[in-house]
Amino acid sequence: MLTGTNDAPRIKRWLSDTAAAVVDSAAERWLDARHKRYGEATFESTNRSGVVVQPAYGPQDLAAKPVEELVMPGQFPYDRNLYPVHYQYQPWMDLQIIGYGVASQLRERMDLLKEEGGARGYFGGEAYNIIFDMPTSMGIDPDFPGVQGAIGDTGVSISKMSDFETLFDGKDLTATHVSMVCNAGSPGILALYLAAARNRGFDLTKLGGNITNYIWDFFGHCGGINFSPRGSYRLCADIAVYCAGVAPRFNTLTVSEHNICEAGANHVQAVAFSIATIIALNEECRSLGIDLDTVVPRYGFHVRYGEDFFEDIAKTRALRRMYAKVNRDRFACVKVGSLQARIHAQTAGSLLTVQQPLNNLMRNAYGAMSAVLSGVNGMTINAYDEALGIPTEEAVTLSLRTSQILAEETGVTKVTDPLGGSFYLERLTDEVERAAMAVIDEIDERGGLIECIESGWMTEQVARSAYRWRQEVESGARPMVGVNTHVVDEEPKVRVFQPDPEAARLALEDLARHRTERDNAATSAALEKLRRAGHAIQEGREIGSVTAALVDAAQIGATLGEMQTVLHEVFGRNK
Amino acid sequence: MSTDFVPRVLLTKSFIDSHDRAIKTIALALRDAGFEVILIDYEMPSDVAHVAVDEDVDVIGVSFMSGGQVSVTEAIVGSLAQANRGDIPVVVGGTIRPFDVEGLNSAGVRAIFRGGESFERVIETFRALALSTRAERNAAA
Repeated sequence: MLTGTNDAPRIKRWLSDTAAAVVDSAAERWLDARHKRYGEATFESTNRSGVVVQPAYGPQDLAAKPVEELVMPGQFPYDRNLYPVHYQYQPWMDLQIIGYGVASQLRERMDLLKEEGGARGYFGGEAYNIIFDMPTSMGIDPDFPGVQGAIGDTGVSISKMSDFETLFDGKDLTATHVSMVCNAGSPGILALYLAAARNRGFDLTKLGGNITNYIWDFFGHCGGINFSPRGSYRLCADIAVYCAGVAPRFNTLTVSEHNICEAGANHVQAVAFSIATIIALNEECRSLGIDLDTVVPRYGFHVRYGEDFFEDIAKTRALRRMYAKVNRDRFACVKVGSLQARIHAQTAGSLLTVQQPLNNLMRNAYGAMSAVLSGVNGMTINAYDEALGIPTEEAVTLSLRTSQILAEETGVTKVTDPLGGSFYLERLTDEVERAAMAVIDEIDERGGLIECIESGWMTEQVARSAYRWRQEVESGARPMVGVNTHVVDEEPKVRVFQPDPEAARLALEDLARHRTERDNAATSAALEKLRRAGHAIQEGREIGSVTAALVDAAQIGATLGEMQTVLHEVFGRNK
Repeated sequence: MSTDFVPRVLLTKSFIDSHDRAIKTIALALRDAGFEVILIDYEMPSDVAHVAVDEDVDVIGVSFMSGGQVSVTEAIVGSLAQANRGDIPVVVGGTIRPFDVEGLNSAGVRAIFRGGESFERVIETFRALALSTRAERNAAA
């Protein structure tokens, strides 16, 4: 940490020799004092990411920064913030995650959230963050054998356009930000939503929203069925190109650093794999002749908070900085929007405990505060009872209150990037960036991200980290209150939300009726057109035509599962 | 039973459930404890019974993070009975809610593991169940 020989030449880039000498002298005197008082103990700690943290930092760490990174918020490389002024002008978007049952049941929860002051989008609009049950998320219809037990259980069941019409009945979709959390089903779910909006007469160019599009995600929450890695990236390019032309305000990709962390990766891995995802997609788009500046501005990130307060902030800043540098320097992007990583924060679900569940309220609040100090754009604060099941209404409201207390009471929103210039944080950001760049170099050396996915190297890295984490919990090296320390004999009783067991029956009956009432010949023709579009884009032609064919098929009456079957045939499955 | 007994376990979750951190972690823990571990995603609950019978496993562990806890477990147990292998014990883990417990117990699950469970208890439970399955099989043979 002492400026030492390695950092000394860097200091001279922006500190005068006199100032550098003063800084070095202070660092040396601190080291002397430490030795005198504590002997050989270094008080270093090593984060799970492998980054080593010193017990104190000083001006020598700030002095080590390259002079081009001494910037104000809103300036390249955007690590400090995307905007010159942030929450003072525009607070974060509250995106409490909600979803269960069938569309009409979820609509009741949406209305409750709005009544409580949630569902707050930008500039007076509404915003909803919808999670789907696992069949839907994976693109499977409720009447597929073997998935019935999961219908409407941990998310809402959606299988056709009319389900979205029910969910958003009466809402002005041009003033409603709709964020949709889904995996392999993303292309079809996006199509069902866009078809519903078009069917209701809305101008798609005015639709704002977000599809997480986790079809690229092979090291996060993607243990289940998905497309083949190569097929996934081709589909991501198709969605990006279609939306750039037809629904240009819609965000087409969320790279989920959060999911990679939740799967067990450490922060350095998660940041590196997130940036590697962007590199792989940019390379795919470039190979297809797509102007990157037309699609990249609609990519964003989903980042996890709650594991390590300061490293959470440092990784956010490192992610924004790396994204800006990679897109500018490696891919020659020039639009400001292509260099700015917008971030949707979510607190860590995997760190919530079944034991003493009210403790999770505190965990979520600390995680949310680190997200706010990172300057994130949107926020999902988990409910305290999520380790037990789907949140109760009371738990969802407490999450919202956590955000409201942060925004309105704590005063942390007065200054943009309030921790900018912190000796510790700036150094930690640099360390995370350096370590993550080393992982990206390794991925490049191994032939790129897709190669690393196909060889199994990527999932192996994550699984190993997850196992190590659990071993640390077992040994007590990683304290978890209520789990391996401060344990109680008798666990407190808490109420757990039970989704309506009738949801499955309702979804199945509704789908059966739909299959008989629609125009089956027209549906088959639309699915055939989808298949032809699929083959065209696989050959590198007519990029964007698959999403166009999906929206048409959805509007005619094709179900999510029918569209997914065609896509799986054309783009292959991961397993 | 000799001391070099190597328990064989089948660990599984649904192909639509993307949350595989827990089951992969348990797979590694059991492997390091000397078990032979088979890890699959099932499409149909009956797939689990087929693989369990084909692979002659001693215990089945099913992970749930996203619904279907009771109905899938009932279907797996039913398929095992149909295959005349109702003797293979089934344990479940993951997000097991209070309202799932009665149905799981009625289906005959032998253990329930939730988040925060110690490796030690998981491993010892699997080992004890595997030992008794193998002992009964050997006695019957």
